[in-house]
Amino acid sequence: MRRRRVCGVDELPPGAMKLVAAGKFGVGVYNVGGQLYAIANYCAHEGAPLCTGYVGGTNVHNPDRPGRLEFVRDGQIVRCPWHQWEFDVTNGRTLADSSRKIRTYRVDVTDGEVFVTA
Amino acid sequence: MKSPVIDTNVQPHFRYNAEIRKFIDPAYKTRAIPDVEQQWYQAPGGDYRADLYDGKYPGSIPETVARHLFSDGGVDYAILNPSTRGNVADYLLNSRICAAVNDWLVQRWLDADVTGRFLGTIRVNPEDPRGAVAEIERLAGHPKMVQVGVPMQSREPYGKPMFEPIWEAAAAFGLPVAVHVNGGNGVDHAPTFAGHAHTYPGYAAFMPLNYFVHLATLIVEGVFGRHPAARFVFADGGYDILTPLMWRLDTFWLSMRDQTPWVDRYPSEYLADHVRFCSSAFDGPTDPADARRWMDFTGKSDLVMYGSGYPHWSTTSPTDAVDGLDSEQREKLLWRNAAGLYSLTRLMEGSDA
Repeated sequence: MRRRRVCGVDELPPGAMKLVAAGKFGVGVYNVGGQLYAIANYCAHEGAPLCTGYVGGTNVHNPDRPGRLEFVRDGQIVRCPWHQWEFDVTNGRTLADSSRKIRTYRVDVTDGEVFVTA
Repeated sequence: MKSPVIDTNVQPHFRYNAEIRKFIDPAYKTRAIPDVEQQWYQAPGGDYRADLYDGKYPGSIPETVARHLFSDGGVDYAILNPSTRGNVADYLLNSRICAAVNDWLVQRWLDADVTGRFLGTIRVNPEDPRGAVAEIERLAGHPKMVQVGVPMQSREPYGKPMFEPIWEAAAAFGLPVAVHVNGGNGVDHAPTFAGHAHTYPGYAAFMPLNYFVHLATLIVEGVFGRHPAARFVFADGGYDILTPLMWRLDTFWLSMRDQTPWVDRYPSEYLADHVRFCSSAFDGPTDPADARRWMDFTGKSDLVMYGSGYPHWSTTSPTDAVDGLDSEQREKLLWRNAAGLYSLTRLMEGSDA
């Protein structure tokens, strides 16, 4: 585990992700609404390159809406490209089963540079 | 000491098919009513236990049924679940047929019973949701009515929203809903996805498995989530396929949870609180040596209740139903699971059975 530079902070705007060659599978550093988070590029299910999955939101039950669904947490949920498991980028947990999670890593910003400790 | 036994699947019959006309609403008295038996797929050797071909309709004389189940079979309580006459297209007529069956069951089997061991099923017609709710409300107060009964044959899966008021009414009265392959002749889909089987084995091997369509939609469409007190009994068994199919549901849910977020746990986690099966002669491993371990897959030890299927040809004795199981599994299957579901625990523990 070591602290390494990712990029300049202006290269990682909200909604963006940088994949860093760290560890065996790489680490994805995400900007979710101005906050930075890092997760392993390794799905908890079968090891797919999770960070190549689309980032979006998810649906929660809202019985008051006509479709009974409400789209929430946009920009915070990554879906695995293999089997569509949803992961919350901010804590590494799968939405279906919070006991199944992936590794998360510490991110910090120093002098306009983004660093991840992985 | 002999274990108590609750038989959760007994099918009583009218003494003759036209007897139903003595119980039906006079406004419907002259209508054509199908016989209780299906007109095809007869079991080789007869649909009923061989010794019941004695000139009377099998399962139609309460004293004979009591003797066979209670005296000869060692059963303490028997839950009667009569067939109706199929999904008759005129749903108002079908609801009157259900009411006639219920009135007959109350008069001839429950109120007239001196053994105190017969319990009943309120048959309702799901194609008439309002009528079904009214029938549940009419009879739920009868102290011997312990469940609601609907046919396995349905033209829509039971998770669909038009049925929900029925399940809600049953749950409000604390009554489980038993889904059972029905008799009669109705307007039904074919018993397999690819049409009609040609032979009885083709029919009988597949038909009970249709329960899974109902079960899957009840889970996925959120009926169990919205109604914590809803309980379903699948009376034809079919739990052979429970493990692989629940695995599929659990797996799909992990991938597609966002389409049904009201399912807030693994689909298989609903089983213990909401689902039971009646035992069936067709389910289980061929070798009883495998039975004990097999029964624990997907928690079936807590889900399966003894059901004889009397008076059918495949009727199973309590002894055969528990072959290969350990003592705890035997108790659960023979009475504990049923006593819990039907709130008979105090009755059973207070008895000297």
